[in-house]
Amino acid sequence: MITLKDINKTYPGIVPLHVLRDINLHIDKGELVSIMGASGSGKSTLLNILGILDNYDSGEYWLDGVLIRNLSENRAAELRNRMIGFVFQSFNLISYKDAVENVALPLFYQGVGRKKRRMLAMEQLERVGLAERAHHLPGELSGGQKQRVALARALITNPSIILADEPTGALDSKTSKEVMQLFRDLNTDRNMTIIIVTHDPGVGEQTSRIIRISDGQITV
Amino acid sequence: MIDLANEIWQTMRNNKLRTALTGVAVAWGIFMLIVLLGMSRGVVNAFDANMGKRGSNAINIYPGVTTEAWHGYKMGRYIQLKDGDKDVLESRGDNKIGRVTAKVYGQSMTLSTDRDYAMTYYEGVFPSELSRSGTTMVAGRFINDADIDQKRKVIVLSLKMAESLFANPEKSIGETVRFGNLSFLVVGVFDSRWSRQVYIPYSTARMLAGNTDNVNQLVVELDNVRTLEDGIAAERTIRNTLASIHDYNPQDESAVYFWNQFNQHLQMNTGMSILNITVWVIGIFTLLSGIIGVSNIMFVSVKERTHEIGIRRAIGAKPHSILTQIILESVSITTLFGYFGIILGTALTAVIGHFIGEQDGFLNPGVDLSIAFEVTVVLILAGAMAGMFPALKALKVKPVEALRDE
Ligand SMILES: Nc1ncnc2c1ncn2[C@@H]1O[C@H](COP(=O)(O)OP(=O)(O)OP(=O)(O)O)[C@@H](O)[C@H]1O
Ligand SMILES: [Mg+2]
Repeated sequence: MITLKDINKTYPGIVPLHVLRDINLHIDKGELVSIMGASGSGKSTLLNILGILDNYDSGEYWLDGVLIRNLSENRAAELRNRMIGFVFQSFNLISYKDAVENVALPLFYQGVGRKKRRMLAMEQLERVGLAERAHHLPGELSGGQKQRVALARALITNPSIILADEPTGALDSKTSKEVMQLFRDLNTDRNMTIIIVTHDPGVGEQTSRIIRISDGQITV
Repeated sequence: MIDLANEIWQTMRNNKLRTALTGVAVAWGIFMLIVLLGMSRGVVNAFDANMGKRGSNAINIYPGVTTEAWHGYKMGRYIQLKDGDKDVLESRGDNKIGRVTAKVYGQSMTLSTDRDYAMTYYEGVFPSELSRSGTTMVAGRFINDADIDQKRKVIVLSLKMAESLFANPEKSIGETVRFGNLSFLVVGVFDSRWSRQVYIPYSTARMLAGNTDNVNQLVVELDNVRTLEDGIAAERTIRNTLASIHDYNPQDESAVYFWNQFNQHLQMNTGMSILNITVWVIGIFTLLSGIIGVSNIMFVSVKERTHEIGIRRAIGAKPHSILTQIILESVSITTLFGYFGIILGTALTAVIGHFIGEQDGFLNPGVDLSIAFEVTVVLILAGAMAGMFPALKALKVKPVEALRDE
């Protein structure tokens, strides 16, 4: 599903920062992996590259047989929309849209009709157990609920990969467990490829493989 | 489309203050543009109503006094125009000089009927005087050629005069008015609220004046003239011809006076277009400051929404979707509030038109459909411009960076 060959990334600046050094990585379809490492080790940078939100300086990134390099912004947007679902630590919901509108938004950019969008969004909200909160604004939801809305939004386009950057970072241990349970169910029931960046060893334990990264290099 | 409208509506509602500020800036700009255009329209209308109808191809010549000695004459000599001048001018054979007529002014006269009497003065004129002066008839007819040939004692009254001498202007036609021991047949009434003069046939007026050859004004109708230069050339020919008849220095500008209606008309028209252009320029600049305001606020608002735009791009919004949304949002704000400005501006011009009414130099201010249409086009373009630059700038930010922006 995902193959990285000698990926390097440097943040330019007065003191250029070489964040990713010769990353080689292969993740199969249907894997549930976690990326762990110290703060500043380059986990988010790696995940953003995987999500085509950021570019890399050298190497090759193959996503489902497609070489991700120098894509036009249109092509990148399309791949993000169809293949990738994002879950962020800070949820990244749009504050003035209610839960169902937030979940439906990716379909808006696919040109799906309004009624169908709503219906599919409600389905996803039901899956994450939030159907009765459909018309609440993000501000009216708890952290766990927000993260479940975000997960529903990531799932609505039926992507092949879910990328989650510290999805439980802002949640307490109980809600963390619930959210992790959702990820595990998705992985087993729908054979989705899921990559989770985390600091929490408890989260790491629940994944089938832990990728450890230190100073921009994969150590395990 | 409905979805997009909904998206725009949501963001507008979510940024109420911003929307209101932008809106006010645009509404104000448009309001000013409309009021200015409406006012200038009033001036143009008044011009058309007063002067526009007046014949625009005549040169009028009035007697003057020489300021230079010439051929043994001393300066300060009064140049008396003669009836014979018109034939000499016509026989010049200049292709710019068409028909030449003349006018004789009478001293003040008292007209009376059984009902009332009134002081007035007469002008002895040719039939062409009607179109030259731009007056219109409200009843009966104007002086005609037969009146001139037969030196008829017929008279054309002004509306005011007809009203005071006869109860009803319509009924005055066919009645007679007394002037000293003469009586004149009223053949027509012309439309004038401010003029008290009356018209009689040129030949009759000469007879009243004691059959002298003296005339008070020559009227040269121009042919084949297009430009200001043509008008000046015709003037030159006339001046030279008259100078040779009356033996004065053709360069002496005061020997006879000219009123070149043709050139005046051209200049007035130019003046009116300049007025119109000026108003548009001022209006557009006022509007422009509104647009710059919109653009500024759009910049700020797009900047504020960097994070949101980042989210949208992360979930797959293509650049053109973002671009369209921001531009349409800006266009919606400008047109929506612009129309508010149009309505207010139109209302104000209507109110002004109502209160000032038909004063000199001002008539029916207001905006017509074509202006509203032009302004709409301006609004849409302006809105698009105001939205486009911030949107393009927003798209330069990479999705990661946009997401990192809090
Ligand atoms: N846009 C940027 N410009 C310059 N340096 C950056 C930028 N983004 C991240 N960095 C630096 O790159 C390094 C790796 O950052 P990254 O966010 O990938 O770390 P991380 O492993 O996700 O850390 P954390 O666990 O704290 O989230 C850090 O030292 C960070 O300061
Ligand atoms: Mg991170």
